[in-house]
Amino acid sequence: MNQPIQIAPVHKSIRVTAPIERAFQVFTAGIDRWWPRNHKVSAGPLAQVRLEPRVGGRWIEVDEGGAETVVATVTAWDPPRHLALRWQINARWQADPTMASEVDVTFTVDDEGGTRVDVVHAKFETMGPVDGASMRRDVDGGWVGLLGLYAALLQGEGEGEGAGPA
Amino acid sequence: MAYGRALAVLADPTRRQVLERLRSGPRAVKEIAAGLPVSRPAVSQHLRVLKDAGLVDERSEGTRRIYSLRREGLVELRAWLDSLWGDALEAFKAEVEKSQGEEP
Repeated sequence: MNQPIQIAPVHKSIRVTAPIERAFQVFTAGIDRWWPRNHKVSAGPLAQVRLEPRVGGRWIEVDEGGAETVVATVTAWDPPRHLALRWQINARWQADPTMASEVDVTFTVDDEGGTRVDVVHAKFETMGPVDGASMRRDVDGGWVGLLGLYAALLQGEGEGEGAGPA
Repeated sequence: MAYGRALAVLADPTRRQVLERLRSGPRAVKEIAAGLPVSRPAVSQHLRVLKDAGLVDERSEGTRRIYSLRREGLVELRAWLDSLWGDALEAFKAEVEKSQGEEP
């Protein structure tokens, strides 16, 4: 099917010093241990994140009141190499089961026994031109002007804090 | 949320200039106002707004008011500004490399 517009995917990659099986296991079964608590769609503070390990399984946020919100649905499950999700969040960061941007995660062994993890978030155009661009900007981090200001401010403030994120 | 307030407050370029002047350390209103194209009372007003948004701290030293950057306010905003996937992958890396040492 032809889409009237295309919006470029967001691609992020990281290398971890861990075997591929462990990388996949921590990414999926262990998601509650690392998912940043500030990135959520639940109304209340986030208590737990769960990923059901199968095609059709759900990525679920549980807030402190016990309310569950479905963030995504697993569309490919091929441990320890590949995982894909239909991202069911709209441009206002509300859960919306009709949304269909896609998150694809691949795990690749590198030469030194570590694992490279690639996340590609694509098909923003399924959300429409305005909402798709908004979601793309949100997941990629596009607030360049403000980020520049803050990078400068924190550099002045944060002496001794150590290196920032890579 | 705190970061939403901070973003709204920093939409004003003069406030960003005022904040920039605190980068090198705490300063009195008079020092902050020196060289800015607005009056000292206007600078005081901007500082109050920045304080209400959690971006600066204020203390009294005799009759002077001393302002400084409030680190927590900046960290909240930075956490929100960081990209979702960049942020998530950094957190994942920290966890996968940590847990490896703990388990057999």
